[in-house]
Amino acid sequence: MKTQSPRALLGKLFGASAKGIAIENSLLTGYAKVGGKDVCVIGTCNGTYIGNASALRLAAQVIECIERRPRTPIVMLVDSAGQEPNRADEMLGLASYFGHLLGCLELARRKGHRLITIATGKAVGGAFLCYGMFADRIYALESASVGLMPIAAMSAVTKIPAPVLQKLSKTMPSLEFGAKPFALLGGVEEVWPASGDLQARLAKAIATATVDDNRAALGKKRGGRKLALDIRNRVLAQSAK
Amino acid sequence: MTRGPLFHEQTARQRIAAVVDRGSFDELLPPPERLTSPYLAQLGIPVSFDDGVVIGRARIGGKKVYLAAQVGQFVGGAVGEIHGAKLTGLFKAAARDRVPCVLIVESGGVRLHEGSAGEIAIAETMRAIFECRALKVPTIAVIGTDIGAYGGIGILSTCCDFRVMTEHGRLGISGPIVIEKWMGKKAYDSSNRALVWKTSGGKTKYLLGDAEALVHDDAGAVREAIGKLLAKSSPVTLKNVKARQKDLEKRLKRFGKTGDPDDVWKGMGVRDVARASLASGPEFAAMAKAGRR
Repeated sequence: MKTQSPRALLGKLFGASAKGIAIENSLLTGYAKVGGKDVCVIGTCNGTYIGNASALRLAAQVIECIERRPRTPIVMLVDSAGQEPNRADEMLGLASYFGHLLGCLELARRKGHRLITIATGKAVGGAFLCYGMFADRIYALESASVGLMPIAAMSAVTKIPAPVLQKLSKTMPSLEFGAKPFALLGGVEEVWPASGDLQARLAKAIATATVDDNRAALGKKRGGRKLALDIRNRVLAQSAK
Repeated sequence: MTRGPLFHEQTARQRIAAVVDRGSFDELLPPPERLTSPYLAQLGIPVSFDDGVVIGRARIGGKKVYLAAQVGQFVGGAVGEIHGAKLTGLFKAAARDRVPCVLIVESGGVRLHEGSAGEIAIAETMRAIFECRALKVPTIAVIGTDIGAYGGIGILSTCCDFRVMTEHGRLGISGPIVIEKWMGKKAYDSSNRALVWKTSGGKTKYLLGDAEALVHDDAGAVREAIGKLLAKSSPVTLKNVKARQKDLEKRLKRFGKTGDPDDVWKGMGVRDVARASLASGPEFAAMAKAGRR
């Protein structure tokens, strides 16, 4: 499929108001409008890696939004190939920088900001876990690469032949890579076709979001992740005795 | 002085038994329930009746706790669907009952054989941890083995109020072998154990302020450190996140240009790097403190 420029995609999502979003070192920060209402935008583009400095930049934007624009919804766009694979970043505490970004987002949630994620490109590994997967509701463009890793990579690490994984993925969507199988697991609320009216979809997503984590229930209902909710509930039931 | 086995040499169940008040552990979803991974079964890989994590409730110093210990010997303590759901349930129970939750970490992150299910489970557990924190229910990660806390579990560990580490513990996201594969041996020689531990080990994490305690490689010492933290919490407030933002900015400004962990050690008050390398965790902490004066 044709890859579109980050600017073109922002235009589709936010119309003319997208000019309020800065793109710097493949990081997105700023404010725009959805359905006539203000939103804060943080995110990544061009499949960039997220390192310490990037995580801090996004965190600063979240803090600014909490302080200056109370209760403004925060839209998180994800197009990142992963955490920065770099020893210096690891040494200075990459995990802690990510944990801090999550803490900022949690504070925003508690203070009444709705958090919406759209996986627009690559949404894999630590780069998805460190902000996008922490939203109230998560959406993905049909073309987005969502999941743990493609089967070829899984095969290379686990030494299980790719055809075996391929065959199993037909009945176990968890092993398959992409927005649709991820939605079957409940990890994505809804997959959006690239051709549709993204502004209207985003406005509806913001209006309907709630803070409950519905992913395990969705995964069970959709049949892609059958065990998670029941196991969790068993722990809750046994521990109540 | 006689000591028991080293903490990093113990199994998950031994660690729990040694950390909690004698006989107080009550396991939830214990092995007789035989909750095993359907993914591993399909792949012809051995399964485990606890799916690599032991969870339950106990007392530490008379105080009620919820407690989990990951089993490093079982697929590297990696998180699959069941393993992750047990953790999510445990932290949710902790929030519901307002009882502190301790996670004895030993995990490389998501269990690749189960694909994205483990990844989502980690994200769900993070949400449950923050449920606890919003209620000022303490959450504590104990990181004391070389398998350590990596990948999504590395990130998850930083979501807890506090981290207790030993010098054997490692905390990070990408491990040395992965980075070497991506960036080359020149960028990160994964066979250089001193470099690996100075990059992600407990001593460096403690110096930087990412672990609240650095204790002896001993269950008694871990138990004592947990006991001290059970009455505390680190709430997610605007004041706290702003202070953390400043601290992390300062760290990056100060050490962002160097790749040399010795510069970090010296900058954080360690005067004699060679001697500090051989020091025990508590000795090391004392040396750094003295150096900063």
